[in-house]
Amino acid sequence: MLRRQLMGSLPAIGGAASSLAGAGTARAQQGRGNTLVVVTTPEPTVLTNAINSAPSVAELATKIYDGLLEYDMGMQPVPSLAESWEVSGDGKSVTFRLRQGVTWHDGQPFTSADVAFSLLEVVKKFHPRGPGNLGPLEAVDTPDTHTAILRLAHPYPPMMKGLSSMECPIVAKHLYEGTDIRNNPANNRPIGTGPFKFAEWNRGSSIVLEKNPNYWRPGRPYLDRLIFRFINDPATRAAALESGEVDVAFFGTINPAEMRRLAGLPSIEIAQGGYEALAPVMLLELNTRKAPLDDKRVRQALAYAIDRKFIVDNIWYGFGKPAVGPISSVYAPSGLYTNDVLRYDVPDRVARANALLDQAGLRRGAGGIRFEITQDVGPYGDDYRRMGEYMRQAYNRIGVRLNLRTVDQATYVRRVYGEYDFDMTSGWYVGMGDPTLGVQRQYVSSNIRQGIPFNNVARYSDPENDRLWADAAVETDATKRGRIFQAIQRKLVEDSPIIWIMEMELVALQNKRVKNLITTALGVRGGLYDTRLEG
Amino acid sequence: MQGLPTVFLIVTFNFFLLHLAPGDPASVMAGEAGAATPEYMAQLRAQFGLDQPLLMQYLRYVWNVLTLDFGYSFRYQESNLSLIMGRMGATLLLAGSSILLSVGLGTLLGLIAAMRRDRIEAALILLVTVLAYASPIFWLGLMFIVIFAIQLGWVPTSGMTTAGGAGAGAAHWLDVAHHLILPAITLSLFYMALYTRLMRASVLENLRMNYVTTARAKGVAPRRLVLRHVLRNAVLPIVTMAGVQVGGALGGSVVVEAVFGWPGLGQLAFEALFARDLNLLLGILTLSSVVVVLANLLVDLVHSIIDPRVALS
Repeated sequence: MLRRQLMGSLPAIGGAASSLAGAGTARAQQGRGNTLVVVTTPEPTVLTNAINSAPSVAELATKIYDGLLEYDMGMQPVPSLAESWEVSGDGKSVTFRLRQGVTWHDGQPFTSADVAFSLLEVVKKFHPRGPGNLGPLEAVDTPDTHTAILRLAHPYPPMMKGLSSMECPIVAKHLYEGTDIRNNPANNRPIGTGPFKFAEWNRGSSIVLEKNPNYWRPGRPYLDRLIFRFINDPATRAAALESGEVDVAFFGTINPAEMRRLAGLPSIEIAQGGYEALAPVMLLELNTRKAPLDDKRVRQALAYAIDRKFIVDNIWYGFGKPAVGPISSVYAPSGLYTNDVLRYDVPDRVARANALLDQAGLRRGAGGIRFEITQDVGPYGDDYRRMGEYMRQAYNRIGVRLNLRTVDQATYVRRVYGEYDFDMTSGWYVGMGDPTLGVQRQYVSSNIRQGIPFNNVARYSDPENDRLWADAAVETDATKRGRIFQAIQRKLVEDSPIIWIMEMELVALQNKRVKNLITTALGVRGGLYDTRLEG
Repeated sequence: MQGLPTVFLIVTFNFFLLHLAPGDPASVMAGEAGAATPEYMAQLRAQFGLDQPLLMQYLRYVWNVLTLDFGYSFRYQESNLSLIMGRMGATLLLAGSSILLSVGLGTLLGLIAAMRRDRIEAALILLVTVLAYASPIFWLGLMFIVIFAIQLGWVPTSGMTTAGGAGAGAAHWLDVAHHLILPAITLSLFYMALYTRLMRASVLENLRMNYVTTARAKGVAPRRLVLRHVLRNAVLPIVTMAGVQVGGALGGSVVVEAVFGWPGLGQLAFEALFARDLNLLLGILTLSSVVVVLANLLVDLVHSIIDPRVALS
């Protein structure tokens, strides 16, 4: 009541409407206590991210499960279930000292056997990115209950960037051993070691998590309850944030244009950062096996013709920055990024594009058109369609007619990844904690796999590039590894199998009473144990 | 007793129609996952049983429906029947209250518009019905949210209950009713407009009938004439239309449920369609068709009560 009276007595900011809205906000937050309400979309299909890498599942399950490690804003590992760790001199084994006295939400003790089982029997076998994150992992030795020694077939530095609760959640051996892991009932009634316990799932509307009173971080979490709400309509999600019914809206739940409007309201702000562990890049994959896109000069011309800054500012409302190559600048602190590559954002880029197409022998015909291609718009929201519409205009200037094709996800996956029936397609990829984990899959020839989504669908194949990626995976010297990645970036940008548009900034919107939402590189895909509510 | 063959035809038609859609649930799940390996895809396909011939899948499905077994959703890792039943209540509550609201208000407004047809009330009612009839339902819903939830703060924007729960018993039902107001009104407006117009025309037509003239000549009081004689005859087309509205309300609720975050069948059907979770979708369509068939039986029954000339054969 006090809060409501205070807000009611405030001088009206901008007229009667906003004081009325203030009353509504206060009412919406009344009686919730120390509960944070989050709106996200879509509703997760299962609640365990050890077997499913969908972002909606990870956003939820990372509150329930812990990983061995967490990552600070510069993607450097910090302790979680592992208190300390040591990589052997030959790089082929990593010893983790595990936290003692940790219990599962059902009261059973957490031990090194859980770690061994989770990594080898669950994540490596069932998580879509498990084979990448834990590729050379052959065995996990458990000399005692709080020591786990990971044995690798060869040195694999990227593994140390993929051991978070998002990528390798540790699940309870006593619940999963000897069961059909993909259909285990615990997948929908998760039991973890994390800051929040699963309480209830009201399908179609909400999932309620409650504070884990025995959490191993003393005094955490601050919140008593964490509620995920699911609302299908983006305009209603925005309304729920505006009215104060929800405190946080994750990226992708609200349209970028609406995000800018909401962030201008007195009660709402943008929660900066928190996507460093994902390193997302928005891009256009080209079918490099289909004429005229099999000609490098044509692909370069298509890359020159696009004004990335325009796209970032006008289609994504500034939530991102122009990309210069396959590797996001969030890897810069690790020394893996360079912008010293062939630049497609030069002032005379349109003239260069036209010249390249002339050289390729693609002369302008009737109506000034050289050739016609189709863009399959990625099924990720209206922004991608609007970007396609901008590109149609941009390509007109170089005599290329662009047709847009929009279908639902099932049809899209079948057409693009199953049948290679496309010229150009828009989408976004996450690079994960290390380029070997998330970026490599799009460029190496061993990953040309028909029918499997999110692989090398451009079917780019180059022996030198393949060798560089193979070297980068096993190189333990950080400086040398950085040089290999610079060579990879220069090579790929020159060959242009993919047009990189934007490094995405997957920021969340929050009510200003929410504090400490983003504290690690995992952002809202972290445990939120430090998050607090004020007022 | 045409109910059973109707349901059977619906099942068959739905089955083959849905299998025309390209893509399968495994590709959707892999698409959502943002990553995939051949092993992962193979695991999913084996789990969904996508390797059998279509005819076999059909025969098995019909057999399952006959034995009231709607299968298991591997996507949600729960039985389809429990997924559907978990949502059925919300949808029936929304559809039911919007039907009652539109029939009640539509009948009343139509009667007023007919009885006072040369007055300002009638003109206003007709204006409102035109607006309600012509406005897109999702737009109306969003405008209601902006006005009543954000600006005035009278009702919540969305959902069926307060996140975290408002309590048990009476507090819970009051909370649900509070959340129900906007979606029920939004969903009822279109049909309310339709009923108003239908009722007005029907009352005007009845007023010209011989039995009205006879009753007037016998000296029946005007109020009693309208309530006792005209209303009963004029409401028949409304009852028929209400049977049609049951199907319409289930369909329209897909949009309204999405706008108001109402956890009903419409949203589940929408997700199942895009996820190609065909068995779940078939289950929803089959059970919905049963509801519609039952509702139409009920309408026939009501008809025969109001108008004894209509007999149930």
